[in-house]
Order: sequence, then C-alpha cells, then structure tokens
Amino acid sequence: MTRRRQHRTIGYYVWRIVLAFALVGGIFYYAPKIYARFEYLPIDEILANSVLKDRTFQAEVKEIKSGDVRAYLLEEHTNPIVSISFAFQNAGTAYEPENKFGLALMLTEMLTAGGGEYDAKEFKNVCAEHGIKIDFSVSADNFSGTLQFPKEFTAKAVEMFKAALYTPRFDETYLALVKKQQLLALQAQQERPEQVLATGFKKFIFAGHPYERDILGTKQDVLAIEAADLDEYRQKMLAQNNLLVGMAGDLTTDEAQQLLAQLFADLPPQASTEKLAALSIETTGEQQAIMRNSAQVVAKFAVQGTFRNSVDFYPLYLVNYIFGESGLTSRLNQKIREKEGLTYGVYTYLMINRSAALIAGGFSATPDNFARAIELLRQEWQRLGLEGVSEEELSQAKKALIEAYNLRFASTEGIADMLLAMQVYDLGIDFLQKRNDYIKEVTLHEANAAAKKYFNQVPDLMYIGILENEEKN
Amino acid sequence: MKRFVLFFTLCLTAVFPAYARLFKATEFNLSNGMPVVVIENHKAPLIKHMVWYKAGAVDEIRGKGGVAHLLEHLMFRGTKLMKKDEFNRQMDEMGAEHNAFTSFDVTVYHQLADVNKLEALMAMEADRMRNLAFDAEDFAAEQKIVYQERQQVVENNPAAPFNERLNLLLRGNSPYGQPITGQNDEIMALTFNDARDFYAQYYAPNNAFLVLSGDIEPDLAHMLAEKYYGKLPAAEIERAEPKAQTEVFKSTLEMALPNIKTTKTVQKFLLPPRKDLVGSYFDYMVLAEYLGGGETSALYQDLVVEQQAAVSVAADFYYLSRGNCVFSFSARPNEEENFNWAWFKQIFDDAVAQAMHNLTAEELEKVKRKMIADLVYVNDNPEDAAYWVGYSLAVGLTLAEVENFVEGIQGVSLDGVKEAYDQLLAAPRVDGLLKPQETTETAQ
Repeated sequence: MTRRRQHRTIGYYVWRIVLAFALVGGIFYYAPKIYARFEYLPIDEILANSVLKDRTFQAEVKEIKSGDVRAYLLEEHTNPIVSISFAFQNAGTAYEPENKFGLALMLTEMLTAGGGEYDAKEFKNVCAEHGIKIDFSVSADNFSGTLQFPKEFTAKAVEMFKAALYTPRFDETYLALVKKQQLLALQAQQERPEQVLATGFKKFIFAGHPYERDILGTKQDVLAIEAADLDEYRQKMLAQNNLLVGMAGDLTTDEAQQLLAQLFADLPPQASTEKLAALSIETTGEQQAIMRNSAQVVAKFAVQGTFRNSVDFYPLYLVNYIFGESGLTSRLNQKIREKEGLTYGVYTYLMINRSAALIAGGFSATPDNFARAIELLRQEWQRLGLEGVSEEELSQAKKALIEAYNLRFASTEGIADMLLAMQVYDLGIDFLQKRNDYIKEVTLHEANAAAKKYFNQVPDLMYIGILENEEKN
Repeated sequence: MKRFVLFFTLCLTAVFPAYARLFKATEFNLSNGMPVVVIENHKAPLIKHMVWYKAGAVDEIRGKGGVAHLLEHLMFRGTKLMKKDEFNRQMDEMGAEHNAFTSFDVTVYHQLADVNKLEALMAMEADRMRNLAFDAEDFAAEQKIVYQERQQVVENNPAAPFNERLNLLLRGNSPYGQPITGQNDEIMALTFNDARDFYAQYYAPNNAFLVLSGDIEPDLAHMLAEKYYGKLPAAEIERAEPKAQTEVFKSTLEMALPNIKTTKTVQKFLLPPRKDLVGSYFDYMVLAEYLGGGETSALYQDLVVEQQAAVSVAADFYYLSRGNCVFSFSARPNEEENFNWAWFKQIFDDAVAQAMHNLTAEELEKVKRKMIADLVYVNDNPEDAAYWVGYSLAVGLTLAEVENFVEGIQGVSLDGVKEAYDQLLAAPRVDGLLKPQETTETAQ
C-alpha cells in the first residue's frame, strides 16, 4: 500500500518552524527558572557542618557579700579592666520630694563635680588621666551609676569614687552652672517633636502618678534646689539596704569582695524610701494630639503589660517579639513598612518599671501616610488579640531569642549591666543557666492566651503633628 | 649609608616596638584581591562581621543623590538564591543583630552574632555581593521607606535646615556638601536602573573589604573567607578620588527657625585632606582635645566655668574622610536674651588665642595622657574595634597607622599643635548662629 503523500503547504513549514522555535525557546527560557527554584543557599547545611559549630561558653555568676552589701560577680580576665554597675532602688525621679523635681538628675551631675580634696576640674582631670570613668544616672525608679577603671588603677578608682559618693563638694559656682545646663536642657527638650511627644506621653499615660514626671524636673523647682537639698537626698536615699551591684571584669572573688567593701561599706544601713504602690493602666482607645508642624506625625501608644516575674511574662515576651520587636520581620514592620512603605519603622516593646508594666510602641509617618498606618496598626492589633500567633511564628521567635543569647556578653560594661538587671528584676542567680529553657517551655496555648489577654485591650495613643485633613497654621 | 641607617632602624623597631600595637590585628588578601582584617577577641564566642564597600554618597552622579543609600536598603530585598525577605528572616532566626549604614565614603553591612553562625553570615553576605535581585515592587516600597527615613531622621529635626545649609556653605560644590540621604525630590526621582547601575559599578570583592572582630583565629578566618568570598569574581572598578577643596572664603550663616528654643553657635574650618595637612593629623586631634574635649578642656574651663559666657563648648576634628578635614567648635551661649553674636565671636576667638598662649609642654603631656588612658577600653567590645579599624581603612589609612595610634599621639609636640592652630587661623571658615525665631522676628 502506498501512502498517499500529503500535500504540504508553506503554512505547514511555517508552523513547524514556529513550533520548533517555541520548544527550543521554551526550554532555554524556562529551564533556568525551573532550575533556580531548586537553587538556594543551604544555610542549615552550612551551619550544621561549620567548623565553628561547637564553640560554647560557660558564664558563671557568683554572689558575693561584704557585710550587708551583696553583689553579683562575673569574672572576665581577658582585658585588664573592671566594670561595676549599681542601683539604689526607689531613689529615682518618682521618689523626689515635692517642689524639688529635677533634684535627682542634678545630683548625678554634682556628685562628679568635685569631692574631698578635689575641685571639679581636678576631679575630672585625675579620673581622665587614669582612664577612670564614674557616671551617675537616674530613672523613674532608681538612682544608678557605673564605675569603670583599668585594673592597675584600682586604688585610685576607689579613692575617686569614695570622694564622689561620700564627700561631694557641691560648690556653689558649679551648682549654678549645672542648674543653668539643666534649664537649657528643659528648653531644648521642646525642640524635637519626638522629645515633645515623649514628655507629653508620660503625662498622658501616667496622669496623677509620680511616673508622669520629667527627669529634668520643672523650671521653678530646678531654680529652687539648693546644695543642702542635694546632700539630704544623697544621705537619705543612698543606703545599703536599697543597693544592688553587678561586677564584671578582671577581678577574683577575693578582690571583688574587698572592692565591694571599700566602695560601699560606708553607706548608711537603711534608706528612708519605700516602693510606690503598683499602678494599673486602663486604656480605652483614647487619642490625644499635640498640634505642631513637623515633617512627620510622630505617634506613641500603650496598654497594660505584665511584670518580669509574672507567669505571663515569657508568653507575652514572645508574642510581643513577633508582633513588634523583632525588627524588619515583625508583623507590624512587614505590614506597615516593608509592604506599603508608609514609615521608616514601627516598634513595640515591654516597658517594665517597678510599679507599672506596659506594652508600648510607636512610629512616625508623613501626614499623608498617617491614617493608613494607624488603620493597619489597629487591624494587626485586633488580629493578634483574636487569632494569636501561629506555631511557625512562635518557633521562629524562640529560635531567634535563644540564638541571640551570647550577644549579651559583648562588653564588660554590658555584662555588669546585665548582672545588675538580674537583681533589679529579681531573676535569680541561675538566670543565665535557665533563661533559654524559660523561652523553650512556652507553649502555643500559653502564647495565645497572653495574646488574647493583653491585645484585647485597646491602646491609648498620642501623636504630635498636623494631620492631612487638619488646618495648617 | 642612608639605606644602612634605614635597615638599622627597621631592625630596632622590629625588636623593640616603641608601643604595643593597638588592636594586634592581622591583614591579608583573598585570591580575588579582597582585603580581610581580623581582630581577635576571645572573651565570648561572638563575632562582628562587617563588609565595607568603597562606595558612598560622594560616588553618586550629580542629581542622583541618595542612590547609594537606597541601594543599601535594597540589599535586604533578596537575591537570586534568597528570595524577598528570606535574608531578614534567616538573620532573625540565627539571632544575629544585623544592619547597614551609608556614609560619604563607604557603605557598610554588618552583623553581631554567635560565632557558630559566622559561615552562614559569610555565605549570605557573599551571595548579596554579586547576586542581588530586587524587583520593581521592592524598589517602589524601599524608595518610599528611604523618603520616610529622611523625613524622620533629618526633616523632623527643627535644626536640620541650619545644619544642611551650614554644611553646604563649607563644602560648596564638593559632594561632601550634599546630604547623604539625597534631597527629597532626588529620592523620589531615582529609578530602578539607577540603583542597579550603582550596584553593578561598585559592588565587587575587590572594591570591598572584610572586617572580622571577635572569637576567630586569623588562619581559620582566612580559610573561611577564601571559601565564601574568595571565589567571587573580581570586577574592573574605577573610582574617582574626591577633589580637594582649595577655595578661600569666610562666610557667616545666621538662621532663626521655628521650634528652635535655644541658641547655638558653630565655627567650622575647612582644612586640606589628611595627606596634605601641614603637620600630622594627630596634631589637630590633640589640639581639639586640648581646646574642647570635655569639661577639663581649656575652652570649657575658660568660657563656661570662669567667664560663664557659655553653658557648653566643644571642639572636634573630623579626619576620617577621603576629602578635606574639618575642624569645628560649637557652643551654647549663656545669655539667651539680647544675645550679641559679634561680642560672643570676639570673646570666643580671644579665649582660643589665650588658651594657645597658655599651652605649655607639660599641659600638652597631660592632654596626651588622658587620650591614651582612654584606649584601655577599645579592645573590650569587639564591635568598637571593628568600627574603628574599618572606618580608618575605608578612608585610606593603613593598618599600620591605625595600630600605631598611641605612637601618633605621643609624637605630637608643642610646636606641632601651635602650627596646627596657625593653620586653623588661615583656613576657610564658616561661622554659624542658630537661634529661636520669636526673639529676632522684628530685627530681620
């Protein structure tokens, strides 16, 4: 049988050529794309096979005592330096006497403005020439400080520190200068919108409670403070029974003990101060505005949070990390920054004082973006309260926080601060050993119970700026 | 004979180094020409991993201001191998603190992490050095974000117009006179291709260097760096040296701005680039420290404590630049009401002259001792050392110069500091006054 030869038209060949090109083109076009789907950076493999994977670290915290003064110590002999962080509890701005607001901050400056035989200039010169750093600072709760020095100048450091703490000069001329600086800082605080908002927000959230006070005090009070007030505050509020100390660096236990005695044994045994009653924050979604022109509207918001030793702490810590604390990967930054580009950044954090615990947050955006950013914030807030977080999000957050554990040991000063924080929050001497387990043990159920409990509240919000639909002046 | 003396000196310094090297760092090059510096710190199993690209805002084409910074943001938007936000998610999962910054001379990507993550950090950083793959959507979002960043960091600051105008006056036509963020309209006019082009032009291993600071030995660091970065192909890169400013001028800038509540004065002096300075840059550094480094400085003691004409005063010498160096004074005058600038300028200049007149060799030694005493802390936090070394190398200092910092300070003489002061007096200068708007409205 002969096959009948098909009649082939030009169109037939054109089609065959087109099909052949399409096929070859298709292979060339799609093959790399398909291949690329399987091509990835094998991070897990790299980590599992890394020559560095077994580097571990043991940090042993010891408790030392000298008389009634206790301290946490972490020996670190790599560098010949010593770092000490300390805090007098219930001696911060919330505990300042009436009509003397701004006193505690002024005291931080005046303690290093000369002591004993040294006038201010000489005091600062001697410290600088020996690399000795003495700094005092103040928060709402505590009057704190740090002392850092090269080990070879231990004796000098003790001498200077004792001069500051026990025999400050409070010279009148220097006091007048420090007052002027504080008054100028009060004025300068009204310049940047985020600073104006920060002071306004404290008054808004903590209305009627000492936490509403500004660290700089008020103009009237600052002018009224005298050397005798500073000295009275020093003697009444800085004592052994409200002192906590963290020591890190090139110290043996014996040396640390001796140092602890030298620095703090001369303090009076009892401070005349008592912890303020705990404050509960009730938010209703109230919104307040400070009307002032700026390129961006800046916002801050808060609801009631939980204290460091509550059973809710770790679940809430993880939930908040997922929601607004993990940087670019947080839910809020993903929605408001990464997708729509509405802001340079949005964040939340757990703000824990001795007498009040908050979940607080903030962001800033140009007026044209502000309403949309708020809308997304409210949506995400509500979604968290209703649906909680996913198993995957929770395990990612746990990994992140556990893997970041060692970062706290970067500097000797940071280690001393951490040792102090362990005591301020009463975490126990074995905190470093247990911390990762505290995180691991949080269940999805616990996390979502915390999400529901805390994110069902509606945050109060304050902003500074002029919104798009508002009159410009 | 000369050669013999040199040889002899070298032998001596090799056997008896006058001062210990500051960081005891190790440097080497990878096979593709990428330099690596390792600063060992075995206090804790941590690593600071920093990639420094020799490209910054001064390398931008005029009118494309902000592209170096926008590209820095886009570097977090995925590569051919790590899509979209996979980079950020992976960094988070490894517990790494990671970020980046753009300056005039350099763009830097960095992480602080557990050292057992170092290989992954290297793999990821090497990947985005050559394989960046952001799309139009990422570009559009990041463009909006860097615009918002400028609004937040620059424009929201009521003093920003003063700061930017003052810098422009001092730096004139130089790229150092432009804001690193770019101007608002420049940012919004940047295109996808502008960012791609900047990446293609400057991002290659031989135009970058790696700084590793922390729990790592140089040999191991070398092996790992070669494994991840050494394989990347080098590229042909031409980077122009910034032109030195040579113009001669004296300018003043007086601004009264809304929301400014305090008065501030500034004096800025334009000096030659570091390598063209008369004397050593250490002379100027010590001069700044003597005159206005903290509360023990000569000007603080005179103008703030004695005369009570100011509430604060400070001096600064900026030399970590490939362009001109800048020496500056800033002060907050004491009397806000009826402030007389001409009077204040006069007493300020007099105070500087008086301080120079009073300076003795003994006093100078004291200043130098203070500067050196503070160095005991630089090797504590691995991050501090990494920034110091990285910034120095990025602007053309050698590692040897960085290591011999103490020697540099020690070598400063009374004559050197006085000569540096004479150079200041002859230098182009801008005097600035920033004050609240209310008090001067009628005067203007």
